[in-house]
This record gives sequence, structure tokens and C-alpha cells, in this order.
Amino acid sequence: MKLKSILSRSVGRALVAIVLAALLASAVATHAADAAAAQEPLPAITLKNGRFDPSELVVPANTAFKLQVTNGDAEAIEFESFEVHRERVVKPGETITVFMPSLSPGTYKFFDDFHGSTPNGVIVAK
Amino acid sequence: MRRLTKCLLPAAAAAVAMQVVRYPRTNPAVESDLVAPSEIKSVLHRACYDCHSNETTWPWYTAIAPASWIIHHDVEEGRSRLNFSSWADYAEDPGTKARKLDEISKSVARGDMAPWYYRMLHPDAGLSDGERAELTRWVAEELGSEPASP
Repeated sequence: MKLKSILSRSVGRALVAIVLAALLASAVATHAADAAAAQEPLPAITLKNGRFDPSELVVPANTAFKLQVTNGDAEAIEFESFEVHRERVVKPGETITVFMPSLSPGTYKFFDDFHGSTPNGVIVAK
Repeated sequence: MRRLTKCLLPAAAAAVAMQVVRYPRTNPAVESDLVAPSEIKSVLHRACYDCHSNETTWPWYTAIAPASWIIHHDVEEGRSRLNFSSWADYAEDPGTKARKLDEISKSVARGDMAPWYYRMLHPDAGLSDGERAELTRWVAEELGSEPASP
């Protein structure tokens, strides 16, 4: 009877240890994946000398993403896309992060609404 | 009389010819309408929704050129710049939502919206001082509840 009780307790402890180890391993793996994702550079667009660079940005389709927009010029710009429903003012020298939606494969125009002479750019979701 | 007929006939012919160029009067599905207090929604519906939503009312004269051309252009442009029927899309990016709210507030304060020619045909689209104040207060509350944009 005593041996049975000791055995049962040992099995219970082993099970708890296994579950804890699995949870720890999962947490470590998630953290590592997050860290790797954080290190990946965000898609970025810079406006410099009245031009977007790149003027064509390729992003993965069907995945929401963050887009960095930098204004390297001396006047404020308005980064806007009717098709993607985004509109942000970027002050001179500033970099902003735009939360972009998951895009179906296709081409999406963006422009500087404050400067009609700035050539349009496109985001290509592939 | 003959001179008058000579002038009127080409004008009538031109008016008829204009009707050949037609634009569709469509209301796409409402994806995610703005959520706001009922009194705010009521004001926005009355003064803004014809051009800034997918719930446009298309009276008979919107089918007659050249009025149809102008109205079609205004609705297309209005929906592109601000569409209350896609509000959740703007809200996905807090900075965009804040920008739209800011523009609403400024347009209302300046009296730009609704445009004068729209108000001529829709006298009820004009905003009283109280309604302007109400909209401005609502925008300020919305902006105050927004997290700082990155």
C-alpha cells in the first residue's frame, strides 16, 4: 500500500515536470521567433528630393505588415493611399510606422497629397 | 422666332447628346460603418453621408447630364478621401484614424463641409453652430481616447 502511494506520487511529479518543461520550451521558442521577427527590417519608403524611394515596394500578399515612412525632405508630406485607406502626415526628418492591412495580390497606389508634383508610388503585394 | 429656333435646336441636341455619357449610380456594400453616438451619426448622415459613405441617396436629377457627371465625380472623390462605410479600415492604423478625425474637425470648423452647392440642393445639410460644436467635441473625445500613434 505504501509502495503504491510512493509510486503514484512519483508518477505525478514526473508528469508535472514534463508539462512544465514543455511549457518552458514553448515559451522559449515563441520568444526566439518574436526576437527573430523583431530583428527583420520593416518594409520602408523614404521620400527624398520629391521622390519616393523605392517607388515600387514589393510585400507579401495576404499578410498584415508595418510600413516605415521617412520624410527626408524639408517640408511636411502626406503619405496617402485611397486603395489601402491610409493617410498620414510625416513631418520633415520624421519616420513613422503605418499599420498596413493584409493585401490581396495586386498593385496599390500611394502618393504625397501635399505635393501633387511628387510622382506616385506603388505597393505590389505578391 | 427662326433665330431663336436656330439657337435652341443645337442646344437641345447637345443636351440630348450629353445623356449618352452615363456613370453608374452605385452603393457598394457597407463594410464597417462608423460607430458613434446616435446624435453624431444623425448629423453626419444628414450632412456628409451622401458623398462620404456607401449610402448615397441618388435623386432623379443625378441621372441627368451634366449634373450626373458633377455628382458622380463628387461622390467618387468624397468616398476616396473619407468613407464612413470603411471606418474600421482607418481604425486599423491609429494614425490614419486620428488624421481623418482631425480633417473632419477642421472642415467642420472652417465651414467647408458640406459644400455650398450641395447645401443649395439639400438645405437640411447645413450645420448649426450647436452641431458644429457637438462634432468638434466628439472628435476631441475620440482623439483623446486614441493611443499615441507610433
